[in-house]
Amino acid sequence: MNRMPTPSPSESGHIRFKRRERRHVTTPVPTPKRFYGHGLPGVELHRLVGKLVVVEGADCSGRSTQIARLVEWLEGCGHATAQVGLKLSSLVSHELERAKQGNILSRITLSLFYATDFADQLENTILPALKAGAIVLADRYIYTLMARDMVRGMDEPWLRNLYGIALEPDAVFYLNVSPEQLAQRNFTKNRTLDYWESGMDLGLAREWFDSFLVYQRRIYEQFQRLQQHYGFEIVNGNRPIEEVNAELRRKIEAVVVRKR
Amino acid sequence: MAGTMRKRFSELNFPGRLIAVEGLDGSGKSTQIRLLQRWLELQGLKVFFSEWNSSELVKSATSKAKKMELLTPTTFSLIHATDFADRYERQLVPLLRAGYIVLCDRYIFTAFARDVVRGCAAEWVRGLYGFAALPDLTFFFKARLEVSLQRILDHRQQLKYFEAGMDMKLSPDIHESFRIFQGKILDQYLAMIDEYGFLVVDANQPIETQQSVVREMVAARLNLDAFALPRT
Repeated sequence: MNRMPTPSPSESGHIRFKRRERRHVTTPVPTPKRFYGHGLPGVELHRLVGKLVVVEGADCSGRSTQIARLVEWLEGCGHATAQVGLKLSSLVSHELERAKQGNILSRITLSLFYATDFADQLENTILPALKAGAIVLADRYIYTLMARDMVRGMDEPWLRNLYGIALEPDAVFYLNVSPEQLAQRNFTKNRTLDYWESGMDLGLAREWFDSFLVYQRRIYEQFQRLQQHYGFEIVNGNRPIEEVNAELRRKIEAVVVRKR
Repeated sequence: MAGTMRKRFSELNFPGRLIAVEGLDGSGKSTQIRLLQRWLELQGLKVFFSEWNSSELVKSATSKAKKMELLTPTTFSLIHATDFADRYERQLVPLLRAGYIVLCDRYIFTAFARDVVRGCAAEWVRGLYGFAALPDLTFFFKARLEVSLQRILDHRQQLKYFEAGMDMKLSPDIHESFRIFQGKILDQYLAMIDEYGFLVVDANQPIETQQSVVREMVAARLNLDAFALPRT
């Protein structure tokens, strides 16, 4: 069997290949794509020959670290990659930032604003990259947006219809880190807890720290709910970076870059 | 969500009432709703007028996007839904709770017609606006296509890109594109008349005739005395 080169961690923790193993690049088998719901008008699904891999998780769950290493590994194996994240589109990112700072938009409006931003990235970044045959690594996708809204009492069928425009990814991983661990990592990284990631708009607790723990637990509950419907992999993110990355690579290798 | 499942504000026990006008650009609906507003205000009633596509924050995003022609049918639809939601949650619902007669120049049906013509799935668009209750009265100003087109062309030298449906590549000629696009929108409106119980006004008639019809219908369907401004 033609196996993908097995990377060994370098001293810095990054990935190294043995020189000989880099030469032969295999093309992943294209798999049929589909939308979750009504989809986008005018998209020819058979032309989306790339792969879409989503990494979900709270802030400080290690998403970006894991994605950076996956990119390094995938490109080392000869696959073109593209990266996308939430709230980066040229269309409304500026307005979204303003809205978040001022806390001036109400729930449905904010939810639709995020959906607009998502749609813009889906059409202008994700789909073109998939057409070009890239492995697209998405730093969060519709599930985070849905979980946040569901915690705030938004109607689940409404959200499902809204995000029926989304393409079903080839693989979705949720990095699950305990709320206590997340709080510790937030302090190490940012020295403070984020207002929105602590659910401070919800009035869950008087103290910020307590609110953070309650909010993160609720978000996780919603992810579990969503998992039943969308069926993604929950990965234990409480472990060391290398261990998590090895699991992700193994799973991606099995699902995404399957050989002919 | 089917149109028949949606409730009107009166059915949801709001003290206020929402009156919407719909129709093609150039059908004269804006003129009519402004005249209705005058009439209601002069009777000392609590009236508020609201326009499609007018909330501050969203305006900044939509105008930028339109200029840059960045929008696809889906983002066009979503950005207008965002704008509507902002107005709905922040303005329309509070006013209706406070017992106002809210007059809307275009409501969700504008999106239902336009977005479907642009290629979005009808159920998806309707679901998007699932949070919005139906107007208590919806006037549809039905003019012959040529009449509406001529009114727009008479008043403006330049048609706008999206207004003419140029994003749909119907025709490289902007006037021809506008004609085809508006024709398709009219078909969508006509199909909604029964589904949503539009009150159809013949917009080929003189302004005064139409206004009489509108005022009579409003007086017959709303108990106007209930909306009097509090005496000070």
